[in-house]
Amino acid sequence: MTDVDPALLRRLRARDERAFRELIAAHRDRVFNITYRMLGHRQEAEDVAQEVFISVFKTIDTFREEAKFSTWLYRVTVNHCKNRIKYLARRHDRERDELDETSRAANTAVEGPTAAKHPDRQLAAAQMEKVLQEAIATLDDDHRVVVVLRDVEDLSIEEICEITGLPDGTVKSRLHRARLALRKKLARHVEDS
Amino acid sequence: MSTDNDTSGATEVEEDIPDAVLAQVSDYVDGVLPPDARAGVKAKIEADPLWKRAHAEMALTRDNLSGLQKARAPAQFDQDVTDIIRKRSAGAFFGRRTFGDRVPFGALLILAVLGLAALGYVLYSSSTGSLKRDAVPEQGSAQPSIAPKI
Repeated sequence: MTDVDPALLRRLRARDERAFRELIAAHRDRVFNITYRMLGHRQEAEDVAQEVFISVFKTIDTFREEAKFSTWLYRVTVNHCKNRIKYLARRHDRERDELDETSRAANTAVEGPTAAKHPDRQLAAAQMEKVLQEAIATLDDDHRVVVVLRDVEDLSIEEICEITGLPDGTVKSRLHRARLALRKKLARHVEDS
Repeated sequence: MSTDNDTSGATEVEEDIPDAVLAQVSDYVDGVLPPDARAGVKAKIEADPLWKRAHAEMALTRDNLSGLQKARAPAQFDQDVTDIIRKRSAGAFFGRRTFGDRVPFGALLILAVLGLAALGYVLYSSSTGSLKRDAVPEQGSAQPSIAPKI
């Protein structure tokens, strides 16, 4: 059974603009967080997140109500991210690996009051964020997907299997390998600092 | 355990902790092991320093990842998406149906047809074929003479 309100779904299929806005409002942050963690670049993430919703709107008629809407949405998101990663790799766009100043400023802006009172902690958190994002960006897209969905988005292994269409064992295996690689990067960072 | 045989450049083999140990610890951290296997891994973590370190590192990695800040979409994101759709579809995607929901086009069409029918009837029934009323001569008034006055 789907996790989207049937009335909302009917309005979406009738191309009601307000319904589309409701849908975006409900899912935009999560979709954006996935695209941002997958791509590591705020502008690219925003661009891909927009394309995700445009694809969803265009193909909403093909969505089957027995499926979970969020699973379908994340599958579209993951596919768009993978396509963009391939496209950027073809263009040899090295900038995708960098956290831009805008995103750093935005992330700092949402820090809590504790961080504001402790600039050293804030700096350490920002450094860890940067190290992690860079480490995620070194993973290939197949490994990046599972680690972002599992460890960043906290989705279950079953949900990841449905989203990626991969068997349970493959998802777990990729997750182990991704964590291994990230663990090594983090260990290096700790040694360096 | 592992069914995925691709060894991507992203994955790096640890020399110190065997891959198999990390795989089991990873499953343990995920909470996806069956109870008996979970108990076995737990016992190893408590007894074996290698397993203990593997667990500590894997748990730390996972905590760091789950502790990443949630990136938020820009405030104008909704507007941007709908603007792009409107632009790419030249207003056809939302336009017709959404606008149609607000303006009763059907009722307006019926009114327009009725109006045209009424206009047609008036024109048809008029002896002059015009909307102007036919001139009716006043009673008792003399017919205008066309004879020249002498």
